Amino acid sequence: MINLLFEKPGLFTSVQDLGRLAYQAFGVPVGGSMDRFSAKMANTLVGNPKESPVLEITLLGPKIYFLEACQIALCGADLSPSINNTSIQNWETIDIKAGDRLQFGKAKSGCRVYLAIRGEWKVQKWLDSASLASLHPELLTPQSFIRKGSSLSIESNSVIEHQVLPRNKRPNYPELLELGVYPGPEFESIARESIVHFFQQTFTVGSKSDRMGYQLEPAISGYKAGAQLISSGVLPGVIQLTNAGQPIVLMADAQTVGGYPRIAVLDRRSRDAMAQSKAGDRIRFRFQKT
Amino acid sequence: METKPGVPYDIIPYGEQALLIRFEEKIDAAINQKVHQLDAYIKKNRLKGLLYTIPAYCSLTLVFDVGIFQKERTIDKIKAFIPNVSDNASQLKSRRLKIPVCYESDFALDQDFITQTLQMSWEDVIRMHSQNVYQVYLLGFLPGFAYLGSLPEALRMPRKAVIRQKVPKGSVAIAGLQTGIYPASVPGGWQIIGACPIPAFAPQQDPPFLFQSGDMVSFEPIDMEKHLDIEAKIAAGTLHPNSWICNE
Repeated sequence: MINLLFEKPGLFTSVQDLGRLAYQAFGVPVGGSMDRFSAKMANTLVGNPKESPVLEITLLGPKIYFLEACQIALCGADLSPSINNTSIQNWETIDIKAGDRLQFGKAKSGCRVYLAIRGEWKVQKWLDSASLASLHPELLTPQSFIRKGSSLSIESNSVIEHQVLPRNKRPNYPELLELGVYPGPEFESIARESIVHFFQQTFTVGSKSDRMGYQLEPAISGYKAGAQLISSGVLPGVIQLTNAGQPIVLMADAQTVGGYPRIAVLDRRSRDAMAQSKAGDRIRFRFQKT
Repeated sequence: METKPGVPYDIIPYGEQALLIRFEEKIDAAINQKVHQLDAYIKKNRLKGLLYTIPAYCSLTLVFDVGIFQKERTIDKIKAFIPNVSDNASQLKSRRLKIPVCYESDFALDQDFITQTLQMSWEDVIRMHSQNVYQVYLLGFLPGFAYLGSLPEALRMPRKAVIRQKVPKGSVAIAGLQTGIYPASVPGGWQIIGACPIPAFAPQQDPPFLFQSGDMVSFEPIDMEKHLDIEAKIAAGTLHPNSWICNE
């Protein structure tokens, strides 16, 4: 058994997998890793099934003490990871020795890095998923919320050969993102000037951005809200406009229904890219041909 | 576009992994039943790559595994389903639930505001709220939160001007022509009319949700003593929440 201890929790560290599917008709958010490409890739690099749990680490990383040897991979944001103060690289398999300490430093690019650890994670699941539950997290997924002194146990597996994701397959995280979108269900009913504005404006990621959604600034100038819509299903990647014309990009922990007009839907690569953006980053939208 | 009875308004792509089926844009029990009938039919007949569905008032969202999803083929398949849905509907029986509610002032935090606004005695409010049969239009907002409708027009209340920072778990509330039971203590804007001793969301139970879309629900007024008794029995595990289902 591999045991690890969190000597520091970091800003927001949680256990995530690919989410809680099939319960959205009961109002349960999908949840799961925000940047699914990086989470799946981290698992692939350690030979785990892609739906295995990973640690989602946000901006300020934790300090982790490994009591046993294991193999890990980090994918996503570059938060200056190091083992025993020697820096290590993202996007490759890394051997950990018993007694090693993994920690992080300056956030150089991106927002979230995913830590996969080879083996079978011993974490309590709720509704078939280890992802941190957004409601009653302590009760439903007690091991998935990482705090100081938290520990995790992973059933070890045979050692695998090192793998490295080639550089040309790694995403980069520029501070000006261009995101591809498909038209949303209310696209046609939104005034043409507002649509034009939506595609011409460079938005800034607001400080009220979290796992539920990203608020973009500024609001679309001159936007006129129509009559209130009857609530309808929403999913991660959907972009809604508030009555003030502010775009909100729904993310992994978003509610399952919403009543704001849905102007657009991110394509899946753009959803992963959005998950790597942080307050102050800039965004432009581009039409994705269907 | 014209709509025929039982026929959805339209089916549109909703990003690269979802479809949205829109019925007539209206909060209406009959339209909502069509949503649930089509939802049940689609689930029974397994569409390739379907991950989950979100039935709402007058729309049905279908979300697919993006690697498997074939948009055009799936749309054609759903269109072919539709003529069969109403035939299938007669076999689909809604669950009927009778849910106890305590309307005493310890729980009815907005009693005074409701009676003043509606110019009605509290007894009349209780009678009108409990002697009605509601349909679960959809679940959303929180896991297990059911939007029940429709309230009698005479009970129509606005949402609170200022959101209440903590609505106690189990509160029964009204707003517009809807009523619902809060599954957890959260901020909320509905007017609180009472409390239900049965949790709408009981995480450790299987299934964890009291309601499902399409259920037909009525309320039975109970006093504080009965409320506490039911709560104690549920906590002790001697009363299963499924005892509130009347048919099946």
